[in-house]
Amino acid sequence: MAAAATCGTGAGSTGSMVAAGGKNNVTSFQRRGPRASGSDSSYSRLVSIAGTRPSVRNGQLLVSTGLPALDQLLGGGLAVGTVLLIEEDKYNIYSSLLFKYFLAEGIINGHTLLVASAKEDPADILQELPAPLLDDNVKKDFDEDACNHKTAESNIKMKIAWRYQLLPKMEAGPVSSSRFGHYYDASKKMPQELIEASKWHGFFSPEKSSSTLNIEPCSLTHGYIKLLQFIQNIIYEEGFDGSNPQKKQKNILRIGIQNLGSPLWGDDICCTENGNSHSLTKFLYVLRGLLRTSLSACMITMPTHLIQNKAIISRVTNLSDTVVGLESFIGSERETNPLYKDYHGLIHIRQIPRLNNLIYDVSDVKDLAFKLKKKLFTIEGHSREQCILVALTPAQ
Amino acid sequence: MESVLALRGLVLLRDSVEWEGRSLLKALIKKAALGGEQVHILGCEVSEEEFRAGFDSSINSRLVYYDLFRDPLNWAQTGEALPGGPLGALQAMCKRTDPGPVTVALDSLSWLLLRLPCAALCQALCAMSRQHACRGGGPAAEQLCVLGLLHRELHGPGPTGALSSLAQTEVTLGGTAGQASAHILCRRPRQRPPLETLWFSVLPDLSLDLQGGPPLESQPHPDPHTPQVEPASHLTFNLHLSKREREAKDSLTLPFQFSSEKQQALLRPGPGPATSRIFYEPDAFDDLDPEDPDGDLDV
Repeated sequence: MAAAATCGTGAGSTGSMVAAGGKNNVTSFQRRGPRASGSDSSYSRLVSIAGTRPSVRNGQLLVSTGLPALDQLLGGGLAVGTVLLIEEDKYNIYSSLLFKYFLAEGIINGHTLLVASAKEDPADILQELPAPLLDDNVKKDFDEDACNHKTAESNIKMKIAWRYQLLPKMEAGPVSSSRFGHYYDASKKMPQELIEASKWHGFFSPEKSSSTLNIEPCSLTHGYIKLLQFIQNIIYEEGFDGSNPQKKQKNILRIGIQNLGSPLWGDDICCTENGNSHSLTKFLYVLRGLLRTSLSACMITMPTHLIQNKAIISRVTNLSDTVVGLESFIGSERETNPLYKDYHGLIHIRQIPRLNNLIYDVSDVKDLAFKLKKKLFTIEGHSREQCILVALTPAQ
Repeated sequence: MESVLALRGLVLLRDSVEWEGRSLLKALIKKAALGGEQVHILGCEVSEEEFRAGFDSSINSRLVYYDLFRDPLNWAQTGEALPGGPLGALQAMCKRTDPGPVTVALDSLSWLLLRLPCAALCQALCAMSRQHACRGGGPAAEQLCVLGLLHRELHGPGPTGALSSLAQTEVTLGGTAGQASAHILCRRPRQRPPLETLWFSVLPDLSLDLQGGPPLESQPHPDPHTPQVEPASHLTFNLHLSKREREAKDSLTLPFQFSSEKQQALLRPGPGPATSRIFYEPDAFDDLDPEDPDGDLDV
């Protein structure tokens, strides 16, 4: 990045493309403009928030979702100020895992966490986070997985004319010592000292909203009102919206909301078709306003398979920025489909935002499947045509 | 098989018109009472005498029964009714439980679902296990078991889906040829939920008799929900080759492989009149030097 170049030269940077004398090995390109000594300019201050990086496409500030493969699919990561909505799978196994990866990434990067749930106590959720994988172990795990995969395929000798080997692979190997996007071991728990060293706020809905008031229709349910007030207070008090000028380093607030829309929040959107259908959409609208004016990123998991009124699902999708749907094969007919025998489910990228941009940043591979190995959660591009190997017949 | 019956948390017993679940509920209550647990029963659908029929006196004395059948709206204004209606009754029940293993039987959850808003009922059910854990000091998952009888034909997919997502175990009653079966689905927090089928019958003294498999007379037909999917069924191309086609395919040279025959074929001019030729009419603006067409190269 250009900011790095200014650190190289200490003296006199008002010249434009001046060839260096050669006495020090710095770049011969010098930055035109007023002297930017690096640490005081607002540009480099934004870049220096831990755990973030600017997008290579449009400079948007991104945070990692905790899964580097998912970051790649979303165009580099989750943009700060946006909402990532995960449509839960039927038994809520994999979506809660993604939720935990998101929170674990926040702890590793030192971000502040806000965990909201109606089913589990946030303190219990934090105890269940996966442990981060150290660099040398990650390489070993990836290599042994790759070996298992390759031995099955090398037996088949295919004469094919198309160049399949040029197709992009979805799995990027672990980048050692990467500061953006870490790998986690799902079979181990995060060490206690890391959790205690982190800063987090918990919102447990049954404790905070105890009254059962009669709410008039088309308004927010009580649980949602309390949650929005809680988020607003945290953002204001800790200065994520820039209201209190912070002398210390700026930080990102990671908000995780679990099972939004389930009956435990007091919302009957999953129970009836004609319930209070505006409560959830209003909540998302107000939440988006809060996020856009602060340095925060939010992940919401929602049991959309329970929502009876399908129009609400499309409204919810429009009100969120990035929407990813998980479909697991457990109990469905696809479990016995030989095409899917290596995978545990499918990932559908339903929506990707257009932030300060005219085009979508969609990846080329449309069919994505995931599998949860003992330690790692991997996402792979999978298409029917790749599985059915085509034999050429000569044209007669 | 016995491990499956170690039920904890919210257990939904989904019965239907053909296969009723109250006898299974009573059998599980008897098992819990014999195991030394406290048993609290909220009776809404049948009278207390009818529910208690079948239990012997030792078990009957251990059951704590809350009657909502006789006077659900408390019109008689006697002091013994639980305040707050059905929801208040649920909350009061969990307040009166002592710490330790407790089984709470709700007969039936359908009755409550028809009279209470679904969201409030879900919240109350979750609150029960949490409050019990607070008092007992042990993890709630081990201590409290809430057996809820749900008549699945009475409710739409919404409420049943909402309750299923809350439940730790779902027991769906069915059966063939006079033999009752229970499909048991346990939701484990981080693993795939195992699905088991038990064939059982409830004896007149309300003990459970588990059989190993379906009765011999019935034909086990394959599960209609999992057909074998043939991946190559609807293809627009031909996957299987005949022998002649296979030989032709093997002798084919691929476009990116240069064999000597191919090189010769390319170098040899085409036979007979030229099949294709490029005709070029130089433009007025073209200044092509016919002797040196690549005028700009220094080679």
